[in-house]
Amino acid sequence: MTIDKGNSAIEFRLDPDSGVPTYLQLVQQVEHALRLGYLQPGDQLPKVRDVVTSLTINPNTVLKAYRELEHKGLAAGRPGQGTFIQATLEQVTLPELAGLRRTLLGWLTSAEQAGLDEDGIVALFTSGLRDFFKSRPASDGASPADHGTANHRTEGVA
Amino acid sequence: MNVIETCELGKRYGKSWALRDCTLTLPAGHLAALVGPNGAGKSTLMNMTAGLTVPTSGTATVLGGHPAGSPAALNGVAFVAQDAPVYRNLSAGDMLHLTRNLNQRFDTPFARARLADLGIPLNKKAGKLSGGQQSQLALTLALARRPRLLILDEPLAALDPLARQDFLAAVMTAMADDGVSVLLSSHQVAELERVADFLIVLSRARLQMAGEVDDLLAGHRLLTGPTAEADEYADRLTVVQTRRGDAQTHLLVRTSETAGPVPPGWESHQVSLEEVVMAYLRSPGVGEPAPLTRVQRPQPTEATR
Amino acid sequence: MSVLTLPAQPGQDTAPRPVPWRRMAWVTWRQQRATLIAVPTVLAAVAVFLVVFGLKAHHDYAALLNCPLDQGQQSNACAKLFSTFNSTDWPLANTVGILVQLAPVLIGAFAGAPLLARALENGTYRFAWTQGLMRERQAIAKLALLGVTLVVLAWAFGELFSWFFQPFLWTEQISRLTEGAFASSGIVFPAFTLVAFAIGAFLGMLLRRVIPALAATLGVYLAVRLGAWALRGQYPVTVVTSNANQFSAFGTPSQPGFAWILSTWYTGPGGKPANQSAVGQLLEQYQSNPHPTVSVGQTLAEHGYTEWNRWIPPSHYWPMQFIEAGWLLVLAVALMAGTVWLVRHRAA
Repeated sequence: MTIDKGNSAIEFRLDPDSGVPTYLQLVQQVEHALRLGYLQPGDQLPKVRDVVTSLTINPNTVLKAYRELEHKGLAAGRPGQGTFIQATLEQVTLPELAGLRRTLLGWLTSAEQAGLDEDGIVALFTSGLRDFFKSRPASDGASPADHGTANHRTEGVA
Repeated sequence: MNVIETCELGKRYGKSWALRDCTLTLPAGHLAALVGPNGAGKSTLMNMTAGLTVPTSGTATVLGGHPAGSPAALNGVAFVAQDAPVYRNLSAGDMLHLTRNLNQRFDTPFARARLADLGIPLNKKAGKLSGGQQSQLALTLALARRPRLLILDEPLAALDPLARQDFLAAVMTAMADDGVSVLLSSHQVAELERVADFLIVLSRARLQMAGEVDDLLAGHRLLTGPTAEADEYADRLTVVQTRRGDAQTHLLVRTSETAGPVPPGWESHQVSLEEVVMAYLRSPGVGEPAPLTRVQRPQPTEATR
Repeated sequence: MSVLTLPAQPGQDTAPRPVPWRRMAWVTWRQQRATLIAVPTVLAAVAVFLVVFGLKAHHDYAALLNCPLDQGQQSNACAKLFSTFNSTDWPLANTVGILVQLAPVLIGAFAGAPLLARALENGTYRFAWTQGLMRERQAIAKLALLGVTLVVLAWAFGELFSWFFQPFLWTEQISRLTEGAFASSGIVFPAFTLVAFAIGAFLGMLLRRVIPALAATLGVYLAVRLGAWALRGQYPVTVVTSNANQFSAFGTPSQPGFAWILSTWYTGPGGKPANQSAVGQLLEQYQSNPHPTVSVGQTLAEHGYTEWNRWIPPSHYWPMQFIEAGWLLVLAVALMAGTVWLVRHRAA
């Protein structure tokens, strides 16, 4: 069955079991779409009410996601019209992506040969990812390591 | 504007209190999930805010200070009681006409179109519709009144998953289009996690907690660490729930700005809405001295975003 | 799946408006449709019977008036007419009369008890009482609309029944003032119907269940009827006279006017109370051996006794109707006010 909303370049979907807050999933999907070129500056993001109707989520969640995108400078709201993309992220072209993917698969093979199982690989990767981004200055305000299934954190409890 | 404000609201039937000392504030623009076990007082609270029941003690006001049950309140609040009561011998068309006659504001074209869309025939007696259809009919009538506040008492209980999603989608869309605030009760927390951004927890006729979901989740953590050290840290922190094994213990704690960093050797996890609610329901009274109406949000520098 | 848009509009907070009668008329009609169809239908069916039978009775009665009262002088046809009238027409009319006594309470109870109780019993009050029109106004509208309808129907039916029963007043020597005839005629009949309706509505709201309310309504109505009967003799329309001959001079067949004698007593010479047993003896003597020309009153007077009667002349029928209908109306209105009070204060 086709649900055709029209009017917007992308459609959102939700992964309810990922542990990632809903609004963040929406933000990530927009960023992902920007990287892959599905969204260009000037494109309109899906209308709040359409997202709400198709995903059955709270409109405030969508508003929060769009506000976050505005905060990051990726989108801007036009009163009465909607929210529009106004910047891009570093676009990774598809051949680049394919190359990176091949390298990744090579690394994964090595890790498996070294004796790590899936969870072990995930734990290793996640901690490495976090350390990598922590050591870099915050460039585009992108949130470090909030995604992914592992929730280990050693920041303050406050 | 606060769509609901109660002050020490209580209701007694005979010798027992169905609800007691309930003081809460619900700002506009939210979907508030009202959760709690059976008999906790959910229906009583809803009945009083809808103006159906007269409180024994305390006050309830809606839509910015109008007393519950007053003409202004009745105008702006639409209530769908448990089991979606409809007049069984009246057809859906008759129900439309009836509701239109009993209200100042009624969007008949919207109601007709929505019923047509849902496949609910206008000339069939309401008692002969399926449970899901009756719920949708009741919701349609409520939405067509263009309320500012929608109160739904366990609307999903008798619905199959598809009907549930349709119902919630309709409510969400009304929120997005018209800015309706919603108070919705259920005894399943999990299904409300996607739609609720405000939470009210009742247990044993008392309010355990009321606050925005974001604040709630940001304000609680699950700490996992050695059992040997657990008691020491339990004293320093506000512990909502303890799960103790021989070697490892989980503490669900309420965080505050003044608490220190995570103790070494301990891990800190986010909690899900269901976990927090269940913890509060299992240990009532831990919500005191005062229910959370605004948990301190962690500062942005703490890098939790 | 698509869900349609609610175009946004600012909310309106307005002061309470007066009861929208036309809208509530539709609401009342639709909710009480069964009652509003059943009651007139049943009344119409009985009315048809009354018309058919009444025409026959009036016809027989007209013929009867041409016959001499003395049985010895009656022709065969006349004798037969008398016999038919007394053994066929009258018992049927009497039965109908008794059933008509029940009409106000049946109409009132079946219309009144479920008026509010049914919504309370099946939970639909949770819908009705959270709509924009305040519940008190809904109740007032329902009580008023249904009350007026029932009063009109009852009055029309009462008039028809009075016409039907009229021939039998003379033949059975029934006063218009006696219980059965008085309460099922004039404006008292619709007043009793309204009271029954008000009792039903009030008890329905009090007890919150239809069947118990129906049963209780029958009981309370019976008490009201008995009370009215006891009270009727106390209305300030009674007359006390000592001229016993007045009673025989009342009425003609076309205008039967039997008085209602409430009590009789005797005084002796000088106005002192008489010895009851002595008077009793005298009366017995007279009854067993009636004098052809001297009346019983003259006989008593010869012995120095005077007969006093406390009675109501038939000409006081309408004042009595107004008094009774008056206090019944007050009672009905008080009950309806009480019902609205219960709606307001004794919520879910």
